[in-house]
Amino acid sequence: MTAVGTPAVDVRGLSHRYASTRADEGDLLALADVDLTLGEGEFVSLVGPSGCGKTTLLRIVAGLLAASDGAVLVHGRAPAEARSDHALGLVTQDPGLLPWRSVAANVRLALDVTGRDTDIDALLALVGIERFARYHPRQLSGGMRQRVALARALAHEPRLLLLDEPFGALDELAREQMRLELLRIWEQRRISVLFVTHSIREAVLLSDRVVVMSGRPGRVVDDVRVPLPRPRVPAHEEAPEFSATAARVRAALAAGAP
Amino acid sequence: MNDSRGALSARDAVDLPGRPLRTERGAPPPHVRSRAARARAVLAHTLGLGLAPALLALGLIGGWEAWVRLRDVQSYLLPPPSAVARALADDPMRFIDAARLSLTAALGGLLVASAIAFALAVVMAHSRQLERALYPPALMIKVTPIVAVYPLFTIWFGFGIWPKMLIAALITFFPMLVNAVVGLRSVDPSALDFMRALDASRWQIFWRLRLPSSLPFVFAALRISVPLSLIGAVVAEFLSGSSGMGQLILIANGDFDTPALFGAIVVLAVLGVSLTALVSYVERRVLFWHESSVGT
Repeated sequence: MTAVGTPAVDVRGLSHRYASTRADEGDLLALADVDLTLGEGEFVSLVGPSGCGKTTLLRIVAGLLAASDGAVLVHGRAPAEARSDHALGLVTQDPGLLPWRSVAANVRLALDVTGRDTDIDALLALVGIERFARYHPRQLSGGMRQRVALARALAHEPRLLLLDEPFGALDELAREQMRLELLRIWEQRRISVLFVTHSIREAVLLSDRVVVMSGRPGRVVDDVRVPLPRPRVPAHEEAPEFSATAARVRAALAAGAP
Repeated sequence: MNDSRGALSARDAVDLPGRPLRTERGAPPPHVRSRAARARAVLAHTLGLGLAPALLALGLIGGWEAWVRLRDVQSYLLPPPSAVARALADDPMRFIDAARLSLTAALGGLLVASAIAFALAVVMAHSRQLERALYPPALMIKVTPIVAVYPLFTIWFGFGIWPKMLIAALITFFPMLVNAVVGLRSVDPSALDFMRALDASRWQIFWRLRLPSSLPFVFAALRISVPLSLIGAVVAEFLSGSSGMGQLILIANGDFDTPALFGAIVVLAVLGVSLTALVSYVERRVLFWHESSVGT
């Protein structure tokens, strides 16, 4: 898929340093001169070693963090403006559900805040939790909670979905299942997705492109197009293109290791 | 459960005592029985739970009564329980009137202090600078022995209910303030990120996230400050000798009326237990979602 028109995310020469709280330490350079483009409707994964600034990059795109240097545009506008358009949906590793609200009410939170409206039942059915609408988060498994978080992030119909290791805390079986669910949902909605992950397999199976980052400070060391057709199915993991792409990502990671 | 509430946790504020799990161990599963059978089972279960403590209390009271009678202990040293009961039954209005005054002072002070403390906590939780400015005077209120300022209060406010309420308020102010500040800050960072990414206003974040997140801490504070408010009110009455349970105790003491003294202790104990039970009941209702109520 090629990006036409204004990209969903356009990052140019982005650097970010965290100011040190101690006098005897220098500032921490988290990101150094990062360029990244995410076309409208594209699914792009960010992989890289721990502490390479993937999450920092995602938070800057989400407008939760102001970058020290460089330009970031979301749908052609500053992240804060994109945010006020309610153009973003966010899912993090910790689902961050409100424990006093039922599943349906947690999803409704996105509508409360944005003032938009949607069919919550249909949304719960989309992520496969329609039978749990009245449950509270404490009664659900980790995978179920992430489904709620996903439904909540989609409720206000954002144009860009930001996923920060959403399956990182799940066991392998639940993770496998959630990957396929995410693929299915993306096929239906076709919104732009920026997906941060530690898993090379996950990145290759889900994405149109895999952006590989180096260790701290994070730089883009490779940008790998995945030559697999859509819709993706688990059988794609057996394809030679899959192995070749995964090998290239792995090599880039090794090259970028500090 | 994967619980990440930031650096500050419940234990930084006050010790949250673990409540016993309300499991129905031993009772047959409720869903297999009819409603009447279930009600009967619950009643039997409740009676069974209350049976051991009731037997123990009866044994202690019986032993006390027997010991006083057999050893012929002087009543002004240790009256038998029957004499205490008689003191309470002979003039119940004396105790009820005094208890009502003490309770009004205690709860009035508690409510006013809790409301002000929570409002201040909202301000402090939103601004580190205001927190730095407000914390020292708040701490001073906490560390100053309240008893020392009471004479001033009587000079300023006389011997009515106001100085008592003020003492109850001062003694309960700090626990609520500290807990509410910690509670309002103990927000799940992922939930906060999500709301911010949706461009939620401060107001929306406050009502939908901060306020509910603070409730476990508010209730922890109440469980501490409810008995404290009673202590504050009674000590104030004791010092002024002008009204309430404090005055009743003072007079009974002067008269060597030990049965009435014991009666006052019983009344205050019942008040303290009832108020604490009420807080726990409301807490269980409101905080059904919190991990402290697992098993309910």
